[in-house]
Amino acid sequence: MSDLVLDVVQQVLNGFLFGSSYALIGIGFTMIFGVMEKLNLAFGVTALAGAYTGLWVFHLTRGPFALTFLVAVLAAGLIGLVVEWTCFRWMPRDYPLAPLMASMGMLFFIDEVVSHATHGRPMAFPAPMGQLMFDVGPWLLRGDLGFMFLVSLAVMGGLWLLVYRTRLGLATRAVSQQPVAAQLCGIGLRRVNAAVFVITGMVGGIAGALIGSAVGNLSPLLSLPLTVKGLVTAVLGGLGSIPGAIAAGLLLGIVEYETLYFFGIGYRDMLTYLLLFAFLVFRPGGLFGSRAGH
Amino acid sequence: MEFYLSLLTLFGFRILLGLSAYVVILTGQVSLAQAGFYAIGAYTAGAATAIWGWPIIPAILLGGLVGGLFGFLVGFPALRVRGLFLVIATLAFTEIVRMVFLNLKYTIRVGERTIGPAGAEGFRGITYYYQHGWSSLHIASFTWCFVLAVLLAFWLMDRSRAGAVLRAVGEDELAASSVGINLTAAKVSAMAVGGFVAGLAGALYAHYATYVSQEDFGVLLASFAIAYPLVGGTGSVLGPVAGVLFFSLLIDGLRFLGDWRNLLFGVLIVAMMNLRPHGLIDVGLLRRLARLGRRARPANRA
Repeated sequence: MSDLVLDVVQQVLNGFLFGSSYALIGIGFTMIFGVMEKLNLAFGVTALAGAYTGLWVFHLTRGPFALTFLVAVLAAGLIGLVVEWTCFRWMPRDYPLAPLMASMGMLFFIDEVVSHATHGRPMAFPAPMGQLMFDVGPWLLRGDLGFMFLVSLAVMGGLWLLVYRTRLGLATRAVSQQPVAAQLCGIGLRRVNAAVFVITGMVGGIAGALIGSAVGNLSPLLSLPLTVKGLVTAVLGGLGSIPGAIAAGLLLGIVEYETLYFFGIGYRDMLTYLLLFAFLVFRPGGLFGSRAGH
Repeated sequence: MEFYLSLLTLFGFRILLGLSAYVVILTGQVSLAQAGFYAIGAYTAGAATAIWGWPIIPAILLGGLVGGLFGFLVGFPALRVRGLFLVIATLAFTEIVRMVFLNLKYTIRVGERTIGPAGAEGFRGITYYYQHGWSSLHIASFTWCFVLAVLLAFWLMDRSRAGAVLRAVGEDELAASSVGINLTAAKVSAMAVGGFVAGLAGALYAHYATYVSQEDFGVLLASFAIAYPLVGGTGSVLGPVAGVLFFSLLIDGLRFLGDWRNLLFGVLIVAMMNLRPHGLIDVGLLRRLARLGRRARPANRA
């Protein structure tokens, strides 16, 4: 096999594994949209702030990585609830622009709190896998990316169980299909919305901690790319579709690593956006979505 | 005085940018492409005066026209996607424009200096105002001529059939098309007008700043463009102006708070949207004012 093929396959592998974190962020955007038909622009920064809280506890206690992780997840869930309370709960139901704007305000606020607390400097994040590498035939499998992928897979499995095997999941699906009918059946709309924000917040916390440990540090500068990549993933997969977000996240990871390899950093994001634009024009429903435009 | 004049000039750019998003929002579309049009206007007009040696007014108008052309072009594919999908499609447009300028190299040498877009280094040497010895007062009044012209044009449009058509499309597309309104024409022309105004704003900004870089034209600028009309309200052209005042007073008025200002900024947006979800000057407020006016008039006569 030629070196080129080897390298290309290596990049597909890396991209596929790293894409699992995009998938998690995309799931967060897509689930909130699926239930409320509203965009939560503060989701990416929720994930980041959760990871930062975990990191803060790590620096306070020098505790094990598991503790960092747990705190990140819980904190992000809590921040998710705060976002729901401040930006969505009291808004008119039929005017999606008001919560869009409010969550943008929240994005600025949380971003600023993080920059303030860290003085804008990147901070090292603990890496549970260290520099571990596995040989897979002629290719290298990075331990941290493998860890990221396995955890993401577990989260996706857990979400599937939650959505399709629990009463809360049933209520969530009912609300996303017909909010008024669901309410008439005695489902508490606000409770379901709050639960979705907590759950997606926790998923975001996991994604934030995974990205932190794979990249090796956290920086306030991550909030915008996280938001944009999450939105791109959610739209590519079809807003509201969880399997779509997963597929799109993995695809986005592969596309990014390949363009990075062939064209360099200056063109990486450009190709992502061109892909997105092409998708929106020619297949507006996304990979698995059926409806275009809301 | 200098400080207030340059503040006034900055208000002008922000109002134009807010108005460009406002006309698109009237048709029920939310576009994050305004920052892309602004960038295109800035680079085009900058190249016109600095590289091709054009006079200022044609250069500014060229910036607007090229922005409008791109608005027209983005308007067509944007017809296929609505609502929140459009937000993201137009975000992609803004980012693509930014990446193109990041990679664009087109420079000439004038004596010792290199002028023109130089990739990541940005576009230096848009010095028309300074070569011609314009004072801050000149620059502010030149900018405000454009701002007032656009405000007046939008105000007239709002009172005309065109404004009613745009609002009808924004309220309910199905109802609008069933009374014979051409949705394609309404949406694409709103995008083209929005692109033109954003291009003008960018062209004026480039000459004021003398240096532009793709970094300035990102998602943040696009977010502010839609934030002005959304926070200020879309009830009338004064809405985006109110939005600009709200944000500018926050940014420049809370300076005494130092670092805490930025924290408060986000909180105030959230509070604002909870208190007035449809913006400061919304349709409801205008209706109440109109009713007050009607009640007051007969009283005066008696």
